[in-house]
Amino acid sequence: MTKRYFRMKLRYTVLFLSLFILLAAIITGCSKKEDVIKIGVAGPMTGDQSKMGIDMKNGAELAINEWNRKGGVLEKKLKIIVEDDQHDPKQAVSVANKLVNAGTIGIIGHFNSNASIPASATYNKANIPMITPASTNPQLTEQGFTNVFRVCGRDDQQGLVAATFVSEVLKFKRIAVLHDKTTYGQGLADEFVKAINHKADVVYYAGVVQGDKDFRAVLTALKGKRPELLYFGGIYPEGGLIIKQARELGLNIPFMSGDGLIDQKFIEIAGPASEGSYLSFSPDPENIPNAKDFLKSYRSNYGEPGPYSIYAYDAANVLLRSIEAAGSADGAAISKAIHEMKHTGALGELEWDKKGDILHSPYVVWEVKNGKFTEYWKPGETNH
Amino acid sequence: MFLQQLINGFTLGAVYALIALGYTMVYGILELINFAHGEIYMLGAYITIISLSILTITGLTSKSLILSLLIVLIITTIISGAYGLTMERAAYRPLRHAPRLSPLISAIGVSIFLQNYVMLTQGSADKIFPHILPPGGLSMADVTLTYMQMFIIITSVFLMTALHTFIRKTRLGKAMRATAQDKKMASLVGIDIDTVIMVTFITGSALAAVAGFMVAMYYGLVNFYMGYVAGIKAFTAAVLGGIGNIQGAVFGGFLLGILESLGAAYISSEYKDAFAFIILILILIFKPTGLLGERVPEKV
Repeated sequence: MTKRYFRMKLRYTVLFLSLFILLAAIITGCSKKEDVIKIGVAGPMTGDQSKMGIDMKNGAELAINEWNRKGGVLEKKLKIIVEDDQHDPKQAVSVANKLVNAGTIGIIGHFNSNASIPASATYNKANIPMITPASTNPQLTEQGFTNVFRVCGRDDQQGLVAATFVSEVLKFKRIAVLHDKTTYGQGLADEFVKAINHKADVVYYAGVVQGDKDFRAVLTALKGKRPELLYFGGIYPEGGLIIKQARELGLNIPFMSGDGLIDQKFIEIAGPASEGSYLSFSPDPENIPNAKDFLKSYRSNYGEPGPYSIYAYDAANVLLRSIEAAGSADGAAISKAIHEMKHTGALGELEWDKKGDILHSPYVVWEVKNGKFTEYWKPGETNH
Repeated sequence: MFLQQLINGFTLGAVYALIALGYTMVYGILELINFAHGEIYMLGAYITIISLSILTITGLTSKSLILSLLIVLIITTIISGAYGLTMERAAYRPLRHAPRLSPLISAIGVSIFLQNYVMLTQGSADKIFPHILPPGGLSMADVTLTYMQMFIIITSVFLMTALHTFIRKTRLGKAMRATAQDKKMASLVGIDIDTVIMVTFITGSALAAVAGFMVAMYYGLVNFYMGYVAGIKAFTAAVLGGIGNIQGAVFGGFLLGILESLGAAYISSEYKDAFAFIILILILIFKPTGLLGERVPEKV
């Protein structure tokens, strides 16, 4: 009795399973025939840096919609797949696998260096080109991958511009350096130190904990070294609190940082203390003639663009143009096309070297003036 | 420089001490480590920012800043007290006669619930306290004591003295001390244990809420996970002074704040958070009863 019962049950199970497999085969068969080209966008879409992720997604989406209106690429429509990496390295790898499995043929992302670097290995294995709009850590393109590109600069270029500004324009000799111990923050601080080493003395160098709120102890210790300028490598929540608390402690020296602080939230957190801060970043899109059309259509679709929206827009355009130039969806062919391409986009002219970095350093120095970021100095100008 | 570090540490310690009091009071009476206590502090900071923005809409903040901050403080303590009360009713009272591990797990559950509740309703981005407080302070030579730091230290010391008087001098305080000594005996002589426990939770939560109120103004930045680290540090402070001992919590709070500041300044700022936990481990190994001891007869 029980034996028969089991056999029956087994039969049903096998039947059910085979039906299920058949169904799955039909579904995947369908998706293979689906006539779209999938583009992945990955970045921090939720959490404390979600604004950056959404800015990036909007920029890429704008470019893709424009191409779709013209009829897509290779006579196929484009489809955008957005994934959230929560600026977490582990999450970035799992998101990268998800995008690879979804059949994307190119990636715009990721945002943070500590997410882009581990994810780039996954894309490299699958031979899918990735173009990051924002990850500036040099290590990303030093891995020997031919499929990794960026449309932004590198932290060694950024650190060099900051160091030149500090030593040649401000002419300071005693520098204090803080960083947040992240790939980006410490990386940038170290590049700055390397570039300024023989021109000025680094009298204080220390890391702080990302997520901490009280930096008074380290700032008091730093104040005792009597530096003339405080340099910080990190992101805006800590940057805003550091400059605010420094002013409260009577540390009234100029403050300088990198592109991680270019966000209105920095000014909101620090308040009046942010006034006069120097930040290295790429030029103001408002001053780039090519960016006019981008700014106009971005504003009409999404409102005010974020600092990295234009980068994502250009990254998406570069990717789509290279697919067209390659004439196929093959990753190696697309990567080759990017290496050979000279792209005139919203940011101006872009060209890539063998590593996937852009040829010309884009960095300039900005200043916080009357509660707004304004472009202040370009390399080559000796005074201001 | 050293004096400045002491001021930094003392301010930090005042906040730890206020939160530690709630831990120690609840432990004194229920022998429960209320791991959700840090979340009440976080809620206090959020309620401060929310009620202040409501007052800004009504236009009161531009007329009288001090009056509106006072109203914000009252709203914050009342709502946080209510949260503390609800927490006790919903998560701890049903488990009062359960094994000791059950309310502890319940406390961790409440903590996770409150964090996610705030994240979902208020968003995961940092909330910023508006720059409405007049800056400035006293400076002598190289040392600065800001008005905000003065306010934090004076308020905490005042509240601690008030709590001490409350427990020593009032009937309810006497009932609390009796309950801490022996719950069963206290109920036999006619003390309403439930009321005493409720009062303990409300007072502890109100103190944490005041800490949240002051921290929101001091740093100007609030997020949903701020209660976790602050809670663990306050717990360390309570253990450092001797858990269940009120003077111990105050002493432990100030000592921890100062040690953390000095450690960050003279040893390494990268390991600022680690100092609290190193102290916790050392205390648990060498003097588990804390520096002032678990004064059992007076452990409220």
